[in-house]
Amino acid sequence: MSQYEVTFAGFGGQGIMTAGQLLAYTGMNAGKQVAWIPSYGPEMRGGTAYCTVVVSDERIGSPIINRPQGICVFNRPSLDKFGPRVKPGGLLIINSSLVDATSDRDDIQVLEIPANDIAQKAGSGKATNMVVLGAFVGATGIVEFDKLKETLTEKMGRKKDLLQINYKALDEGYELGRKAKEEKVKG
Amino acid sequence: MGKNIRLLQGNEACVEGALLAGVRFFGGYPITPSTEIAEGLARRLPLVDGTFVQMEDEIGSLAAVIGASVAGVKAMTATSGPGFSLMQEHIGYAYMAEAPCVVIDVQRGGPSTGLPTKVSQSDIMQAAYGTHGDYRAIVLSASSCEECLLYTIKAVNLSEKYRTPVVLLTDEVIGHMREKVEIPDPEELEIVDRVKPEVPPEWYKHFEITPTFISPMASFGDGYRFNITGLTHDEMGFPTAKPVQIKAKLDKLRKKIERNKEDICEIKTTYMDDEPHVVVLSTGIVSRAANQAVKMARQKRMKVGAIQLVTVWPFPDELIMQYMKSCRHLIVAELNQGQILKEIERYIDKRHTKIESLQRYDSELITPQDILQKVREVK
Repeated sequence: MSQYEVTFAGFGGQGIMTAGQLLAYTGMNAGKQVAWIPSYGPEMRGGTAYCTVVVSDERIGSPIINRPQGICVFNRPSLDKFGPRVKPGGLLIINSSLVDATSDRDDIQVLEIPANDIAQKAGSGKATNMVVLGAFVGATGIVEFDKLKETLTEKMGRKKDLLQINYKALDEGYELGRKAKEEKVKG
Repeated sequence: MGKNIRLLQGNEACVEGALLAGVRFFGGYPITPSTEIAEGLARRLPLVDGTFVQMEDEIGSLAAVIGASVAGVKAMTATSGPGFSLMQEHIGYAYMAEAPCVVIDVQRGGPSTGLPTKVSQSDIMQAAYGTHGDYRAIVLSASSCEECLLYTIKAVNLSEKYRTPVVLLTDEVIGHMREKVEIPDPEELEIVDRVKPEVPPEWYKHFEITPTFISPMASFGDGYRFNITGLTHDEMGFPTAKPVQIKAKLDKLRKKIERNKEDICEIKTTYMDDEPHVVVLSTGIVSRAANQAVKMARQKRMKVGAIQLVTVWPFPDELIMQYMKSCRHLIVAELNQGQILKEIERYIDKRHTKIESLQRYDSELITPQDILQKVREVK
Protein backbone atom coordinates (compact mmCIF):
# COMPACT_ATOMS: atom_id res chain seq x y z
CA MET A 1 0.00 0.00 0.00
CA SER A 2 1.31 3.41 -0.82
CA GLN A 3 -1.79 5.45 -0.08
CA TYR A 4 -5.30 4.65 1.12
CA GLU A 5 -8.22 7.04 1.41
CA VAL A 6 -11.44 6.42 3.31
CA THR A 7 -14.50 8.56 3.90
CA PHE A 8 -16.81 8.17 6.89
CA ALA A 9 -20.21 9.75 6.28
CA GLY A 10 -23.41 10.11 8.28
CA PHE A 11 -25.18 12.72 10.35
CA GLY A 12 -23.76 14.83 13.17
CA GLY A 13 -23.71 12.93 16.46
CA GLN A 14 -22.95 9.50 15.02
CA GLY A 15 -19.27 9.74 15.86
CA ILE A 16 -18.18 10.15 12.26
CA MET A 17 -15.39 12.60 13.10
CA THR A 18 -14.20 10.54 16.07
CA ALA A 19 -13.95 7.36 14.02
CA GLY A 20 -11.89 9.18 11.39
CA GLN A 21 -9.64 10.81 13.94
CA LEU A 22 -8.98 7.54 15.71
CA LEU A 23 -7.93 5.98 12.41
CA ALA A 24 -5.68 8.96 11.64
CA TYR A 25 -4.05 8.83 15.07
CA THR A 26 -3.49 5.10 14.69
CA GLY A 27 -1.86 5.62 11.30
CA MET A 28 0.39 8.28 12.75
CA ASN A 29 1.34 6.09 15.71
CA ALA A 30 2.29 3.42 13.17
CA GLY A 31 4.72 5.90 11.59
CA LYS A 32 2.64 6.71 8.51
CA GLN A 33 1.73 10.03 6.97
CA VAL A 34 -1.87 10.98 7.67
CA ALA A 35 -4.43 13.67 6.93
CA TRP A 36 -7.93 13.99 8.38
CA ILE A 37 -10.30 16.34 6.63
CA PRO A 38 -13.69 17.02 8.20
CA SER A 39 -16.74 18.52 6.54
CA TYR A 40 -19.96 19.42 8.24
CA GLY A 41 -22.85 21.86 8.10
CA PRO A 42 -23.46 24.78 10.47
CA GLU A 43 -25.45 22.58 12.86
CA MET A 44 -23.63 20.35 15.32
CA ARG A 45 -26.11 17.50 15.59
CA GLY A 46 -28.42 16.04 12.96
CA GLY A 47 -26.83 17.73 9.96
CA THR A 48 -24.76 15.92 7.40
CA ALA A 49 -21.20 15.24 8.42
CA TYR A 50 -18.36 13.42 6.77
CA CYS A 51 -14.63 13.17 7.05
CA THR A 52 -11.92 11.73 4.88
CA VAL A 53 -8.77 10.09 6.19
CA VAL A 54 -5.68 9.65 4.05
CA VAL A 55 -3.07 7.15 5.27
CA SER A 56 0.11 7.00 3.25
CA ASP A 57 3.64 5.68 3.30
CA GLU A 58 4.83 8.85 1.61
CA ARG A 59 4.27 12.54 2.12
CA ILE A 60 0.67 13.36 1.23
CA GLY A 61 0.45 15.70 -1.75
CA SER A 62 -3.14 16.69 -2.00
CA PRO A 63 -5.51 15.73 0.80
CA ILE A 64 -8.38 16.50 -1.56
CA ILE A 65 -9.88 13.22 -2.64
CA ASN A 66 -12.52 12.75 -5.35
CA ARG A 67 -12.91 9.02 -5.27
CA PRO A 68 -11.70 7.28 -2.12
CA GLN A 69 -10.96 3.55 -2.05
CA GLY A 70 -13.10 3.07 1.02
CA ILE A 71 -16.37 4.65 2.13
CA CYS A 72 -18.35 3.90 5.28
CA VAL A 73 -21.91 5.22 5.23
CA PHE A 74 -23.89 5.54 8.45
CA ASN A 75 -27.22 6.71 7.01
CA ARG A 76 -29.29 6.70 3.82
CA PRO A 77 -28.46 10.18 2.44
CA SER A 78 -24.77 9.30 2.75
CA LEU A 79 -25.26 6.11 0.76
CA ASP A 80 -27.00 8.04 -2.01
CA LYS A 81 -24.31 10.71 -2.07
CA PHE A 82 -21.17 8.66 -1.57
CA GLY A 83 -22.08 5.17 -2.82
CA PRO A 84 -21.37 6.04 -6.46
CA ARG A 85 -18.03 7.64 -5.52
CA VAL A 86 -16.23 4.53 -4.28
CA LYS A 87 -13.23 3.86 -6.49
CA PRO A 88 -13.68 0.70 -8.62
CA GLY A 89 -12.23 -2.21 -6.69
CA GLY A 90 -12.82 -0.38 -3.44
CA LEU A 91 -14.90 -1.06 -0.35
CA LEU A 92 -18.32 0.25 0.72
CA ILE A 93 -19.47 -0.42 4.27
CA ILE A 94 -23.16 0.22 4.91
CA ASN A 95 -24.72 0.59 8.35
CA SER A 96 -27.70 -1.63 7.64
CA SER A 97 -29.35 -0.82 10.99
CA LEU A 98 -30.33 2.58 9.59
CA VAL A 99 -29.99 2.09 5.84
CA ASP A 100 -32.69 -0.05 4.23
CA ALA A 101 -31.12 0.10 0.80
CA THR A 102 -27.91 -1.23 -0.70
CA SER A 103 -25.61 -0.47 -3.58
CA ASP A 104 -26.11 -2.16 -6.95
CA ARG A 105 -22.48 -1.69 -7.95
CA ASP A 106 -20.68 -4.90 -8.85
CA ASP A 107 -17.23 -3.36 -9.27
CA ILE A 108 -16.73 -2.85 -5.54
CA GLN A 109 -16.92 -4.90 -2.36
CA VAL A 110 -20.10 -4.09 -0.39
CA LEU A 111 -20.26 -4.96 3.28
CA GLU A 112 -23.55 -4.51 5.15
CA ILE A 113 -23.29 -4.38 8.92
CA PRO A 114 -26.09 -3.75 11.44
CA ALA A 115 -23.76 -1.47 13.36
CA ASN A 116 -26.34 0.18 15.63
CA ASP A 117 -27.74 -3.17 16.74
CA ILE A 118 -24.29 -4.59 17.40
CA ALA A 119 -23.34 -1.51 19.37
CA GLN A 120 -26.53 -1.72 21.42
CA LYS A 121 -25.68 -5.29 22.34
CA ALA A 122 -22.14 -4.26 23.21
CA GLY A 123 -23.54 -1.79 25.72
CA SER A 124 -24.28 1.48 23.95
CA GLY A 125 -25.69 2.61 20.63
CA LYS A 126 -23.13 5.40 20.75
CA ALA A 127 -20.41 2.89 19.88
CA THR A 128 -21.86 2.42 16.37
CA ASN A 129 -18.87 4.24 14.94
CA MET A 130 -16.48 1.77 16.59
CA VAL A 131 -18.32 -1.21 15.06
CA VAL A 132 -17.93 0.32 11.59
CA LEU A 133 -14.32 1.33 12.20
CA GLY A 134 -13.52 -2.18 13.44
CA ALA A 135 -15.14 -3.67 10.34
CA PHE A 136 -13.22 -1.31 8.09
CA VAL A 137 -9.88 -2.17 9.65
CA GLY A 138 -10.79 -5.89 9.54
CA ALA A 139 -11.69 -5.74 5.87
CA THR A 140 -8.73 -3.64 4.73
CA GLY A 141 -5.89 -4.08 7.21
CA ILE A 142 -4.85 -0.47 6.65
CA VAL A 143 -3.61 -0.33 10.23
CA GLU A 144 -2.94 -3.11 12.70
CA PHE A 145 -5.93 -3.90 14.87
CA ASP A 146 -3.81 -4.00 18.03
CA LYS A 147 -2.43 -0.56 17.22
CA LEU A 148 -6.00 0.71 16.83
CA LYS A 149 -6.93 -0.57 20.28
CA GLU A 150 -3.78 0.88 21.77
CA THR A 151 -4.62 4.26 20.31
CA LEU A 152 -8.19 4.03 21.60
CA THR A 153 -6.83 3.35 25.07
CA GLU A 154 -4.48 6.30 24.73
CA LYS A 155 -7.33 8.62 23.71
CA MET A 156 -10.07 7.30 26.01
CA GLY A 157 -8.07 5.67 28.77
CA ARG A 158 -9.63 7.70 31.56
CA LYS A 159 -13.17 6.52 30.89
CA LYS A 160 -12.72 2.87 31.89
CA ASP A 161 -16.38 1.78 31.64
CA LEU A 162 -16.80 3.31 28.20
CA LEU A 163 -13.53 1.79 27.07
CA GLN A 164 -14.85 -1.74 27.61
CA ILE A 165 -17.96 -1.04 25.52
CA ASN A 166 -15.83 0.43 22.77
CA TYR A 167 -13.41 -2.50 22.82
CA LYS A 168 -16.34 -4.87 22.44
CA ALA A 169 -17.84 -2.84 19.60
CA LEU A 170 -14.47 -2.75 17.82
CA ASP A 171 -13.99 -6.51 18.26
CA GLU A 172 -17.43 -7.38 16.90
CA GLY A 173 -16.94 -5.12 13.90
CA TYR A 174 -13.43 -6.38 13.27
CA GLU A 175 -14.58 -10.01 13.17
CA LEU A 176 -17.23 -9.18 10.56
CA GLY A 177 -14.71 -7.25 8.49
CA ARG A 178 -12.08 -9.96 8.72
CA LYS A 179 -14.55 -12.67 7.68
CA ALA A 180 -15.64 -10.59 4.71
CA LYS A 181 -12.02 -10.20 3.70
CA GLU A 182 -11.41 -13.95 3.91
CA GLU A 183 -14.51 -14.67 1.86
CA LYS A 184 -13.35 -12.19 -0.74
CA VAL A 185 -9.96 -13.87 -0.94
CA LYS A 186 -11.61 -17.30 -1.32
CA GLY A 187 -14.06 -15.64 -3.57
CA MET B 1 15.93 14.15 21.66
CA GLY B 2 13.37 12.65 19.30
CA LYS B 3 11.31 14.73 16.98
CA ASN B 4 8.14 16.17 18.45
CA ILE B 5 5.50 15.02 15.97
CA ARG B 6 1.79 15.63 16.54
CA LEU B 7 -1.47 15.21 14.67
CA LEU B 8 -2.66 18.81 14.63
CA GLN B 9 -5.48 20.81 13.14
CA GLY B 10 -4.40 23.85 11.15
CA ASN B 11 -5.90 25.99 13.89
CA GLU B 12 -4.01 24.12 16.59
CA ALA B 13 -0.82 24.48 14.56
CA CYS B 14 -1.39 28.26 14.56
CA VAL B 15 -1.53 28.10 18.36
CA GLU B 16 1.80 26.27 18.50
CA GLY B 17 3.33 28.72 16.05
CA ALA B 18 2.10 31.72 18.01
CA LEU B 19 3.56 30.43 21.27
CA LEU B 20 6.90 29.61 19.62
CA ALA B 21 7.00 33.09 18.06
CA GLY B 22 6.61 34.62 21.50
CA VAL B 23 2.98 35.76 21.32
CA ARG B 24 1.84 36.42 24.88
CA PHE B 25 -1.46 38.20 24.31
CA PHE B 26 -4.59 37.15 22.48
CA GLY B 27 -7.69 39.30 22.37
CA GLY B 28 -10.47 37.80 20.34
CA TYR B 29 -14.02 36.78 19.79
CA PRO B 30 -14.82 33.22 18.76
CA ILE B 31 -16.08 32.60 15.25
CA THR B 32 -16.28 29.46 13.12
CA PRO B 33 -13.99 28.23 11.61
CA SER B 34 -11.28 29.99 13.64
CA THR B 35 -12.52 29.23 17.17
CA GLU B 36 -9.96 26.53 17.96
CA ILE B 37 -7.19 29.14 17.79
CA ALA B 38 -8.88 31.13 20.57
CA GLU B 39 -9.65 27.96 22.52
CA GLY B 40 -6.08 26.74 22.28
CA LEU B 41 -4.53 30.02 23.35
CA ALA B 42 -7.08 30.41 26.17
CA ARG B 43 -5.71 27.16 27.57
CA ARG B 44 -2.06 27.71 26.82
CA LEU B 45 -1.32 31.41 27.31
CA PRO B 46 -1.90 31.45 31.10
CA LEU B 47 0.67 28.66 31.42
CA VAL B 48 3.41 30.88 29.96
CA ASP B 49 2.43 34.05 31.85
CA GLY B 50 0.50 35.26 28.85
CA THR B 51 -2.93 36.85 28.71
CA PHE B 52 -6.08 35.71 26.96
CA VAL B 53 -9.07 38.01 26.81
CA GLN B 54 -12.35 37.23 25.16
CA MET B 55 -13.59 40.66 24.15
CA GLU B 56 -17.13 41.89 23.54
CA ASP B 57 -16.70 41.76 19.76
CA GLU B 58 -14.10 41.89 17.01
CA ILE B 59 -13.73 45.67 17.15
CA GLY B 60 -12.83 45.44 20.81
CA SER B 61 -10.61 42.44 20.11
CA LEU B 62 -8.23 44.30 17.87
CA ALA B 63 -8.32 47.35 20.14
CA ALA B 64 -7.10 45.12 22.97
CA VAL B 65 -4.44 43.60 20.73
CA ILE B 66 -3.12 47.05 19.76
CA GLY B 67 -3.07 48.06 23.43
CA ALA B 68 -1.04 44.99 24.34
CA SER B 69 1.29 45.59 21.42
CA VAL B 70 2.17 49.17 22.37
CA ALA B 71 2.67 47.94 25.93
CA GLY B 72 5.46 45.77 24.53
CA VAL B 73 3.84 42.35 24.18
CA LYS B 74 3.63 40.30 21.01
CA ALA B 75 -0.11 40.22 20.38
CA MET B 76 -2.52 38.62 17.97
CA THR B 77 -6.09 37.69 17.22
CA ALA B 78 -7.88 35.20 14.98
CA THR B 79 -11.16 35.46 13.17
CA SER B 80 -13.07 34.69 10.00
CA GLY B 81 -14.84 36.75 7.31
CA PRO B 82 -17.55 38.56 9.30
CA GLY B 83 -15.21 39.20 12.22
CA PHE B 84 -12.45 40.30 9.86
CA SER B 85 -14.85 42.89 8.44
CA LEU B 86 -15.49 44.28 11.93
CA MET B 87 -11.77 44.41 12.60
CA GLN B 88 -11.01 46.59 9.60
CA GLU B 89 -11.47 49.82 11.56
CA HIS B 90 -8.75 48.93 14.02
CA ILE B 91 -6.51 47.27 11.49
CA GLY B 92 -6.37 50.74 9.98
CA TYR B 93 -5.50 52.12 13.40
CA ALA B 94 -2.69 49.59 13.74
CA TYR B 95 -1.27 50.58 10.33
CA MET B 96 -1.39 54.23 11.33
CA ALA B 97 -0.01 53.72 14.84
CA GLU B 98 2.54 51.23 13.44
CA ALA B 99 1.62 48.72 16.11
CA PRO B 100 2.94 45.24 15.31
CA CYS B 101 0.22 42.59 15.56
CA VAL B 102 -1.02 39.51 13.74
CA VAL B 103 -4.52 38.73 12.53
CA ILE B 104 -5.23 35.18 11.39
CA ASP B 105 -8.20 35.04 9.04
CA VAL B 106 -9.52 31.51 8.65
CA GLN B 107 -11.48 32.18 5.49
CA ARG B 108 -15.05 30.97 5.00
CA GLY B 109 -17.61 31.76 2.32
CA GLY B 110 -19.13 35.25 2.16
CA PRO B 111 -20.23 38.00 1.82
CA SER B 112 -21.79 38.58 5.25
CA THR B 113 -22.30 35.52 7.45
CA GLY B 114 -22.05 33.45 4.26
CA LEU B 115 -20.95 29.86 4.81
CA PRO B 116 -19.55 29.37 8.32
CA THR B 117 -18.32 25.82 7.75
CA LYS B 118 -17.32 25.97 4.10
CA VAL B 119 -14.07 26.77 2.42
CA SER B 120 -13.27 29.94 0.48
CA GLN B 121 -10.42 32.21 -0.58
CA SER B 122 -12.54 35.29 -0.99
CA ASP B 123 -10.73 37.54 1.49
CA ILE B 124 -7.61 37.95 -0.67
CA MET B 125 -8.56 41.50 -1.59
CA GLN B 126 -10.04 42.41 1.78
CA ALA B 127 -6.80 41.38 3.48
CA ALA B 128 -4.93 44.03 1.50
CA TYR B 129 -7.53 46.72 0.95
CA GLY B 130 -10.12 46.11 3.68
CA THR B 131 -9.59 49.27 5.67
CA HIS B 132 -9.71 52.75 4.23
CA GLY B 133 -6.71 54.95 3.56
CA ASP B 134 -3.43 54.56 1.76
CA TYR B 135 -1.18 51.84 3.14
CA ARG B 136 0.60 48.65 2.18
CA ALA B 137 -0.31 45.34 3.74
CA ILE B 138 1.70 42.22 4.43
CA VAL B 139 -0.45 39.13 3.91
CA LEU B 140 0.72 35.51 4.04
CA SER B 141 -1.17 32.36 3.10
CA ALA B 142 -0.78 28.79 4.40
CA SER B 143 -1.52 25.59 2.47
CA SER B 144 -1.03 22.90 5.13
CA CYS B 145 -1.14 22.39 8.87
CA GLU B 146 2.64 22.52 9.00
CA GLU B 147 2.61 25.84 7.14
CA CYS B 148 0.03 27.16 9.63
CA LEU B 149 2.66 26.71 12.31
CA LEU B 150 5.59 28.06 10.31
CA TYR B 151 3.77 31.03 8.77
CA THR B 152 2.26 32.10 12.08
CA ILE B 153 5.86 32.46 13.25
CA LYS B 154 6.78 34.23 10.01
CA ALA B 155 3.79 36.58 10.40
CA VAL B 156 4.79 37.51 13.95
CA ASN B 157 8.40 38.03 12.86
CA LEU B 158 7.44 40.28 9.95
CA SER B 159 5.06 42.31 12.11
CA GLU B 160 7.78 42.92 14.66
CA LYS B 161 10.40 43.69 12.05
CA TYR B 162 8.30 46.17 10.06
CA ARG B 163 6.10 47.48 12.89
CA THR B 164 2.92 46.70 11.04
CA PRO B 165 -0.11 44.42 11.24
CA VAL B 166 0.37 41.18 9.34
CA VAL B 167 -2.52 39.05 8.14
CA LEU B 168 -2.21 35.28 7.82
CA LEU B 169 -4.83 33.73 5.57
CA THR B 170 -5.86 30.13 6.04
CA ASP B 171 -9.25 28.62 5.31
CA GLU B 172 -11.94 26.35 6.73
CA VAL B 173 -10.37 23.19 5.33
CA ILE B 174 -6.83 23.85 6.55
CA GLY B 175 -8.17 25.18 9.84
CA HIS B 176 -10.09 21.99 10.62
CA MET B 177 -7.97 19.44 8.78
CA ARG B 178 -5.57 17.36 10.83
CA GLU B 179 -2.11 16.49 9.57
CA LYS B 180 1.16 15.32 10.94
CA VAL B 181 3.05 18.38 12.14
CA GLU B 182 6.58 18.47 13.44
CA ILE B 183 6.96 20.98 16.25
CA PRO B 184 10.30 22.64 15.60
CA ASP B 185 12.99 22.92 18.23
CA PRO B 186 12.69 26.46 19.67
CA GLU B 187 16.49 26.72 19.67
CA GLU B 188 16.60 26.37 15.91
CA LEU B 189 13.96 28.99 15.13
CA GLU B 190 14.66 32.52 14.08
CA ILE B 191 12.53 34.77 16.27
CA VAL B 192 12.44 38.50 15.57
CA ASP B 193 11.80 41.07 18.28
CA ARG B 194 10.98 44.71 17.57
CA VAL B 195 13.92 47.11 17.68
CA LYS B 196 13.96 49.16 20.87
CA PRO B 197 15.29 52.73 21.00
CA GLU B 198 18.90 53.26 22.07
CA VAL B 199 18.68 57.05 22.36
CA PRO B 200 17.96 58.84 25.64
CA PRO B 201 14.23 59.44 26.21
CA GLU B 202 14.39 63.16 25.41
CA TRP B 203 15.65 62.39 21.87
CA TYR B 204 13.14 59.66 21.20
CA LYS B 205 10.62 59.94 18.38
CA HIS B 206 8.13 57.07 18.26
CA PHE B 207 7.55 57.53 14.51
CA GLU B 208 11.01 58.73 13.51
CA ILE B 209 11.57 58.72 9.77
CA THR B 210 14.74 56.67 9.52
CA PRO B 211 16.62 55.69 6.34
CA THR B 212 14.83 52.32 6.41
CA PHE B 213 11.47 53.94 7.31
CA ILE B 214 11.23 51.56 10.27
CA SER B 215 11.29 53.33 13.63
CA PRO B 216 12.60 51.80 16.84
CA MET B 217 9.68 51.20 19.18
CA ALA B 218 9.55 51.94 22.89
CA SER B 219 6.78 50.41 24.95
CA PHE B 220 4.43 52.26 27.26
CA GLY B 221 6.10 52.23 30.63
CA ASP B 222 9.68 52.14 29.30
CA GLY B 223 10.20 55.78 30.27
CA TYR B 224 9.91 57.14 26.73
CA ARG B 225 7.26 59.75 25.98
CA PHE B 226 5.12 59.40 22.89
CA ASN B 227 1.57 59.73 21.64
CA ILE B 228 -0.56 57.20 19.79
CA THR B 229 -3.42 58.28 17.60
CA GLY B 230 -5.37 57.29 14.53
CA LEU B 231 -5.03 60.84 13.26
CA THR B 232 -2.25 61.47 10.76
CA HIS B 233 0.65 62.51 12.94
CA ASP B 234 4.19 63.83 13.09
CA GLU B 235 7.22 61.87 14.25
CA MET B 236 6.25 62.35 17.89
CA GLY B 237 2.81 60.95 17.23
CA PHE B 238 0.88 64.20 17.59
CA PRO B 239 -1.78 65.07 15.01
CA THR B 240 -0.55 67.21 12.19
CA ALA B 241 -2.12 69.20 9.36
CA LYS B 242 1.19 70.07 7.70
CA PRO B 243 1.24 68.69 4.12
CA VAL B 244 4.96 67.89 4.36
CA GLN B 245 4.47 65.78 7.46
CA ILE B 246 1.33 64.14 6.11
CA LYS B 247 3.11 63.09 2.94
CA ALA B 248 6.13 61.91 4.92
CA LYS B 249 3.93 59.69 7.10
CA LEU B 250 2.12 58.10 4.16
CA ASP B 251 5.39 57.61 2.27
CA LYS B 252 6.78 55.91 5.36
CA LEU B 253 3.88 53.44 5.54
CA ARG B 254 4.32 52.57 1.89
CA LYS B 255 8.09 52.55 1.58
CA LYS B 256 8.83 50.43 4.65
CA ILE B 257 6.95 47.64 2.88
CA GLU B 258 7.74 48.37 -0.77
CA ARG B 259 11.48 48.72 -0.27
CA ASN B 260 11.66 45.42 1.54
CA LYS B 261 9.65 43.31 -0.87
CA GLU B 262 12.66 41.11 -1.44
CA ASP B 263 12.75 40.22 2.25
CA ILE B 264 8.99 39.91 2.66
CA CYS B 265 8.00 38.09 -0.52
CA GLU B 266 8.19 34.32 -0.82
CA ILE B 267 6.85 31.82 -3.32
CA LYS B 268 7.20 28.04 -3.52
CA THR B 269 7.70 26.26 -6.81
CA THR B 270 7.06 22.70 -8.00
CA TYR B 271 8.66 21.43 -11.22
CA MET B 272 9.65 24.91 -12.34
CA ASP B 273 13.31 24.19 -13.11
CA ASP B 274 12.96 23.14 -16.75
CA GLU B 275 11.10 26.24 -17.97
CA PRO B 276 7.62 24.71 -18.36
CA HIS B 277 5.26 26.30 -20.88
CA VAL B 278 2.24 25.70 -18.65
CA VAL B 279 2.26 27.02 -15.10
CA VAL B 280 -0.43 26.77 -12.40
CA LEU B 281 -0.52 29.76 -10.03
CA SER B 282 -2.39 29.38 -6.75
CA THR B 283 -2.22 29.90 -3.01
CA GLY B 284 -3.33 28.16 0.17
CA ILE B 285 -5.25 24.89 -0.03
CA VAL B 286 -5.53 25.12 -3.83
CA SER B 287 -1.75 24.81 -4.09
CA ARG B 288 -2.03 21.31 -2.65
CA ALA B 289 -4.28 20.31 -5.53
CA ALA B 290 -2.04 22.17 -7.99
CA ASN B 291 1.09 20.36 -6.84
CA GLN B 292 -0.65 17.01 -7.07
CA ALA B 293 -1.99 17.87 -10.54
CA VAL B 294 1.48 18.86 -11.71
CA LYS B 295 2.92 15.60 -10.44
CA MET B 296 0.20 13.66 -12.28
CA ALA B 297 0.89 15.67 -15.44
CA ARG B 298 4.63 14.99 -15.21
CA GLN B 299 3.94 11.26 -14.98
CA LYS B 300 2.16 11.67 -18.30
CA ARG B 301 5.19 13.56 -19.63
CA MET B 302 3.47 16.91 -19.76
CA LYS B 303 5.80 19.80 -19.01
CA VAL B 304 3.86 21.66 -16.33
CA GLY B 305 4.95 23.54 -13.22
CA ALA B 306 3.27 25.16 -10.24
CA ILE B 307 3.83 28.34 -8.25
CA GLN B 308 2.41 28.77 -4.76
CA LEU B 309 2.06 32.27 -3.30
CA VAL B 310 3.30 32.22 0.28
CA THR B 311 3.25 36.00 0.40
CA VAL B 312 0.07 37.26 -1.23
CA TRP B 313 0.71 40.92 -0.41
CA PRO B 314 2.85 42.75 -1.30
CA PHE B 315 2.19 40.85 -4.51
CA PRO B 316 5.37 38.93 -5.37
CA ASP B 317 5.33 39.98 -9.03
CA GLU B 318 9.12 39.96 -9.50
CA LEU B 319 9.40 36.42 -8.16
CA ILE B 320 6.62 35.22 -10.47
CA MET B 321 7.74 37.12 -13.54
CA GLN B 322 11.15 35.45 -13.64
CA TYR B 323 9.30 32.26 -14.62
CA MET B 324 7.04 33.92 -17.19
CA LYS B 325 9.65 34.18 -19.97
CA SER B 326 9.09 30.56 -20.87
CA CYS B 327 5.46 30.37 -19.77
CA ARG B 328 2.86 30.34 -22.57
CA HIS B 329 -0.16 29.44 -20.48
CA LEU B 330 -0.67 30.61 -16.93
CA ILE B 331 -3.54 28.91 -15.13
CA VAL B 332 -4.72 30.89 -12.11
CA ALA B 333 -6.65 28.58 -9.76
CA GLU B 334 -8.50 30.07 -6.79
CA LEU B 335 -11.60 29.66 -4.62
CA ASN B 336 -13.19 32.98 -5.56
CA GLN B 337 -14.24 34.84 -8.68
CA GLY B 338 -10.80 35.92 -9.79
CA GLN B 339 -9.14 37.98 -7.05
CA ILE B 340 -5.58 36.78 -7.74
CA LEU B 341 -6.39 36.76 -11.46
CA LYS B 342 -7.09 40.50 -11.47
CA GLU B 343 -3.77 41.20 -9.77
CA ILE B 344 -1.57 38.99 -11.95
CA GLU B 345 -3.17 40.45 -15.08
CA ARG B 346 -1.43 43.73 -14.30
CA TYR B 347 1.98 42.18 -14.81
CA ILE B 348 1.56 39.63 -17.58
CA ASP B 349 2.21 40.47 -21.22
CA LYS B 350 -0.83 38.78 -22.73
CA ARG B 351 0.72 38.64 -26.19
CA HIS B 352 3.31 36.30 -24.73
CA THR B 353 1.47 34.45 -21.95
CA LYS B 354 -2.18 33.49 -22.12
CA ILE B 355 -3.96 33.62 -18.80
CA GLU B 356 -6.52 30.94 -18.02
CA SER B 357 -8.71 31.17 -14.96
CA LEU B 358 -9.94 28.23 -12.90
CA GLN B 359 -12.41 29.41 -10.31
CA ARG B 360 -14.61 27.67 -7.81
CA TYR B 361 -16.86 29.44 -5.34
CA ASP B 362 -19.59 26.86 -4.66
CA SER B 363 -18.11 25.94 -1.24
CA GLU B 364 -16.23 22.92 -2.62
CA LEU B 365 -12.52 22.55 -3.27
CA ILE B 366 -10.73 22.61 -6.59
CA THR B 367 -9.44 19.06 -7.08
CA PRO B 368 -6.21 17.89 -8.73
CA GLN B 369 -8.39 16.40 -11.52
CA ASP B 370 -10.00 19.82 -12.18
CA ILE B 371 -6.56 21.35 -12.63
CA LEU B 372 -5.25 18.48 -14.73
CA GLN B 373 -8.22 18.83 -17.03
CA LYS B 374 -7.53 22.55 -17.44
CA VAL B 375 -3.90 21.74 -18.21
CA ARG B 376 -5.06 19.33 -20.93
CA GLU B 377 -7.37 21.97 -22.39
CA VAL B 378 -4.61 24.53 -22.83
CA LYS B 379 -1.99 22.05 -24.01
